[in-house]
Amino acid sequence: MKNYKTMKMILLLSLSASAITACSSQGNDKGNTSTSKPSTENNQTEITPPDPFGKYAEPVTVTEVLGFNPPEDSRTPKGITPDQNAYFKDLKEMMNIDVKYKWTVPSSQFEQKFSLAMASGDLPDILELDPKNFEKLKKQDMLADLTEAYEQYASPTLKKYMESDGGFAMKTYNADGKQLAIPAFEDPFLSTQLLWIRKDWLDNLNLQAPTTIDELEKVAEAFVKNDPDQNKQNDTYGISLQKTLFFWGFDVRGLFNGFGAYPSIGDAQTAWIKNGEDKLIPGLIQPEVKTALSKLQSWYQNGILNKEFALKDENKAVEDLTSGKVGISYGEWWYPNWPLNLNIDKDPKAEWIAVQIPGLDGPAKSLVPKIRAGKVFAVNKKAKNPEAAIKMINFYIEMGNKQYLEKNKAENGYVYNWFNPRIYNPAQIETIYTEVNKALDAKQTEITLDDENYKNVADVFKAGTDFLAGNTKDASKGVNWGQYYSRAAKDGGWGTTRKIKESGAFVNNEFYGLPTKTQVEKGAQLDKLMQESFTKIIMGASIDEFDKFVASWKSLGGDDITAEVNAWYGEQAKN
Amino acid sequence: MRTLKKEYVLHLMLLPGVIATLIYAYGPMAGLVMAFQQFEPLSGFFKSEFVGFDNFRYVFALPDFGQVLWNTIIIAIFKMILFLLVPLILALLLNEVTRKWFSGFIQSAIFLPFFLSWTVLGGVVIELFSLSGPVNGLLTEIGFQPIMFMLDNDWFRGIVIGSDVWKGMGYNMIVMLAAIVGINATLYEAAEVDGAGKWKQVMHITLPGISPILILLGVLSLGGILNAGFEQILIMYNPTVYEGADIIDTFVYRLGMFSQQFGPAAAIGLFKSVISLGLVSITYYAAYKLNNYRIF
Repeated sequence: MKNYKTMKMILLLSLSASAITACSSQGNDKGNTSTSKPSTENNQTEITPPDPFGKYAEPVTVTEVLGFNPPEDSRTPKGITPDQNAYFKDLKEMMNIDVKYKWTVPSSQFEQKFSLAMASGDLPDILELDPKNFEKLKKQDMLADLTEAYEQYASPTLKKYMESDGGFAMKTYNADGKQLAIPAFEDPFLSTQLLWIRKDWLDNLNLQAPTTIDELEKVAEAFVKNDPDQNKQNDTYGISLQKTLFFWGFDVRGLFNGFGAYPSIGDAQTAWIKNGEDKLIPGLIQPEVKTALSKLQSWYQNGILNKEFALKDENKAVEDLTSGKVGISYGEWWYPNWPLNLNIDKDPKAEWIAVQIPGLDGPAKSLVPKIRAGKVFAVNKKAKNPEAAIKMINFYIEMGNKQYLEKNKAENGYVYNWFNPRIYNPAQIETIYTEVNKALDAKQTEITLDDENYKNVADVFKAGTDFLAGNTKDASKGVNWGQYYSRAAKDGGWGTTRKIKESGAFVNNEFYGLPTKTQVEKGAQLDKLMQESFTKIIMGASIDEFDKFVASWKSLGGDDITAEVNAWYGEQAKN
Repeated sequence: MRTLKKEYVLHLMLLPGVIATLIYAYGPMAGLVMAFQQFEPLSGFFKSEFVGFDNFRYVFALPDFGQVLWNTIIIAIFKMILFLLVPLILALLLNEVTRKWFSGFIQSAIFLPFFLSWTVLGGVVIELFSLSGPVNGLLTEIGFQPIMFMLDNDWFRGIVIGSDVWKGMGYNMIVMLAAIVGINATLYEAAEVDGAGKWKQVMHITLPGISPILILLGVLSLGGILNAGFEQILIMYNPTVYEGADIIDTFVYRLGMFSQQFGPAAAIGLFKSVISLGLVSITYYAAYKLNNYRIF
């Protein structure tokens, strides 16, 4: 009996002990934020007027997390890690801000890792969010109000950028008069799908660049069977494809567009197109998608697509492109910058061109979103210095000026795509295109523009002149070509995109609101359903599976989403 | 009481283990409350809304749930049976090997993959069975059509089960070998005198001798019957084989991590634990009745 009592005591004691530890760890969190809030900060802002580029008197530490790709520029010092990014040295010098990473992971793991961080409530000060996560954190009241910080600290250039669309994107992230995030929006035409094709393979086989799906099929078949690389081996296939069908690259968005099908803008969720009577319909379940799928199925059977595409992620797809196994890929303007430049450096004969996507009869229209803002920057409500985020955005834009050109180079350890929060000039690529072409046409040796776009324009101008002169002193042929052909060449990535924009060969994704309730809840389920059904159809399941898919999609939440999206659309029309 | 006084040092030594168990095994159980909440992580347990059995209703109504449950059970049952059978056969065979160095070498070789993680082995398996991999190379060499093992529902399940058995069989084999070695050698001598051959000796001495261990391993593996191998399947599967390979754990992972539906994910987890507890209790009772076998 006594024994039993002791046991009970032990049990009770340890249970309460664990309860206490659980509570106290929460208490600690709160304690940290409230007690360590610097009292000097408030006084200071009262005395000195806010300076967008001002230096904090005391060092300010902000925490971040990062999903990163390898540095794009091959001249970057080997083995450099994100926290060694040279931008941070300058940031410390100029503004006395220290950046501390809570964690960094390769970008392919970012989404999962960030979900985990959200689940445990362990979030950094500066948050890089997609619209879905923004919506979730907003709902849970986790985001700091940036209205004042933006008003007081945003540099004139940042304000200019944010107003360039009439303040439209900013308004999307404003709730009840509180600015909750700064959207990193860009020219939506950057999403335009192009067909990238190996020109040297076409020449080897005496073929023309395709303008229709039928011609594309013939070219792709020839690329499979007729040894386009002339190495006497049967080691090539036609069109690159990877397991994620609608993605940010190496996917089949453009191919579907060729059939007049507009399934997705790349996020695995459906795109929304107008059906004439002022209603939006989900592109993912339209009959044109079925036609495109049955074509893909026949291409899979005759070897135009890789037999094991369902096992390939984007890295494997890129490997095939760079190692010369495949000569056709759908994608956006930036391919020459990466990964096609790697192929050019590997194979001196390789030559890539961009053409408008082939359609059923002649070049087709590409799906373009109304707003391209895949990510926004917000600040954790618990952060001590929300304005530091705004200052860091100012800092990054400032680094584009002429005076930093010599210092701010990849070989000195500056990795631009690791720096967050990073807001671009929404018209950056267009500015580069016009300024570089102006200078090239006038045979200038220097570019004349002198503002925060200087570095970007000057870099492309240098790469372009080096490439055209065959000069590889400072960078490889691939690097020079990639910079030039993606951004400046008149027949290159952005050049071709501009032509498509001017000729009106595009269809808009009309939905640009924040994800709806059902999208947040059921999105992943619908995504899984789509991946599973489409992959199976391409690999040979009956094409009637598509009708089953449509029925399931609608009943599993698709109908609700359609109603919600149309309710949103009705609101927009009223405004 | 007197014994407690005498052995209090021994009981003291038990204390860290008990505390660790309470903190790491019983403490987190409080988290199960999530299964009955519309859980919002940043609001925490105290502010999230209680929804009763809504999460369970939601989960059981999901169209994939039946398929996922069936996959889990079928994969787990095959793994359980093979995890007893294959190591047993290996142990019996190895026991007959008289050259010590050879037996040791084989044991190490079979044990080795147990120490590698699925992150490594998953990649190896995918490469082995890819279209251009050695297995298909061999098949085409002897006149078969190449098979897309990793993209075919029928083959994929087999590969999942086979590769898991291959990875883990060394462990059970060592346990069984140890049990076999522990059998009194005089029994074999007596049997030999009575004219029993190797086969009869195995049937009448070795097998009955190690049956408690076999039952223990069986009971233990039953407890994990609904663990069909999360890490392994997560690394090896792809959308084409969801139909035959998506198990409860991978399903929960996608539900929790990608849709961030923590409530429903916790509900499935709780469901799984309750079923497992039931199964263990039943087998444990059966083992006691049939073989008078007890752990405590």
